[in-house]
Amino acid sequence: MVDADKTVPADNAIEFNHSAEQEATKVMDTDTVLVQRTLRSGQNFYFDGNVVILGDVNPGAEVVARGDIIVMGVLRGVVHAGVDGNEDAKVIAFRLQPTQLRIANHITRAPDGEADGPHQPEMACIKNGNVVIDTFYTGGF
Amino acid sequence: MGEVIVVTSGKGGVGKTTTVANIGTGLAAKEKKVVLVDADIGLRNLDVVLGLENRIVYDIVDVTSEHCRLRQALIKDKRFESLYLLPAAQTKDKTAVSPEQMQKLCSDLKEEHDFVIIDCPAGIEQGFKNAIAGADKAIVVATPEVSSVRDADRIIGLLEASDLRDPKLIINRLQPKMVRYGDMMSIEDIIDILAIDLLGVVPDDEMIIVSTNRGDPVVLNEHSRSGQAYRNITRRILGEAVPMMDLNYDSGFLSKLRRFIGIK
Repeated sequence: MVDADKTVPADNAIEFNHSAEQEATKVMDTDTVLVQRTLRSGQNFYFDGNVVILGDVNPGAEVVARGDIIVMGVLRGVVHAGVDGNEDAKVIAFRLQPTQLRIANHITRAPDGEADGPHQPEMACIKNGNVVIDTFYTGGF
Repeated sequence: MGEVIVVTSGKGGVGKTTTVANIGTGLAAKEKKVVLVDADIGLRNLDVVLGLENRIVYDIVDVTSEHCRLRQALIKDKRFESLYLLPAAQTKDKTAVSPEQMQKLCSDLKEEHDFVIIDCPAGIEQGFKNAIAGADKAIVVATPEVSSVRDADRIIGLLEASDLRDPKLIINRLQPKMVRYGDMMSIEDIIDILAIDLLGVVPDDEMIIVSTNRGDPVVLNEHSRSGQAYRNITRRILGEAVPMMDLNYDSGFLSKLRRFIGIK
């Protein structure tokens, strides 16, 4: 039984809705799945929405999503965000070292000869028609 | 009631057969009842590495197709009374045995032996599926090379999918000097990707080639560094907490001289 006195007052509540207000409030209610383990080589994961992985994506593993892909670990495999052509899709990881990174119709890889990237959270997104990788700052979209 | 351990790797040539022969011999030297099963049907090697190839009369396919009794096919080791080998067939291939037959074979062997160690073939097809069918635990062998680690990761994923959780890792053929120069993956690099418990590290050793050619497992050789590593692994399997060997030991003349004078 929910105690009526303890419910959140209406003016503090954040509304989830399907309208254009989503863009303004930055609260999206697209389906998001939580994968609570590391993906090993040969394991593929497909989802019609956003994917959050609590673990690593090892080389030889593949993650394909219609929305964003967030890896709370080291991303060393192949990811494809925004697979239906959504160029707003992003890929974020604690350490971004994918063998191949794809967003919508763009396919990219690390420059030849680069041994180890920076050890900090990074985000890949499309800016001005190119895939760009930046340091990830919270709230910096 | 014993336990069935499968030694697998994915990649070929990383040292599964050598590891099975040495761990098996090491456990038998500690008076455990051990049977080694060669599941690499068509390409049998475990008999050669143990020096028992000219004692083979029946093999694993004869047992599973009931041409002979299990006891007739087991070969007693020439050094240890409690060590037996069930050889593979050399004329058939991996489709000659089914996972169900392997499961029955393993449960029969478990009843009379403390340890049943299965030498898994390379690959992920029927041979691999047969080898893991009756296993309780798994040991994954990998060398410090990118391709070996990639294949080991795949194998660990397949093992976890078959409910063989918590496999243990043996890193084989490590060359500490190359690791120091950054030319070879370090132990930490490998565990970073594979994320399973380390059972032991075996350094690269020329003695291994001599021992496998002669059929004399290196674990019995007091002077061998890899033998010492296998002895430590054997003790860890039996539950003892053995510290990792110092692999940076250099036995060249200049190093001995340096140590004698006191320079590091």
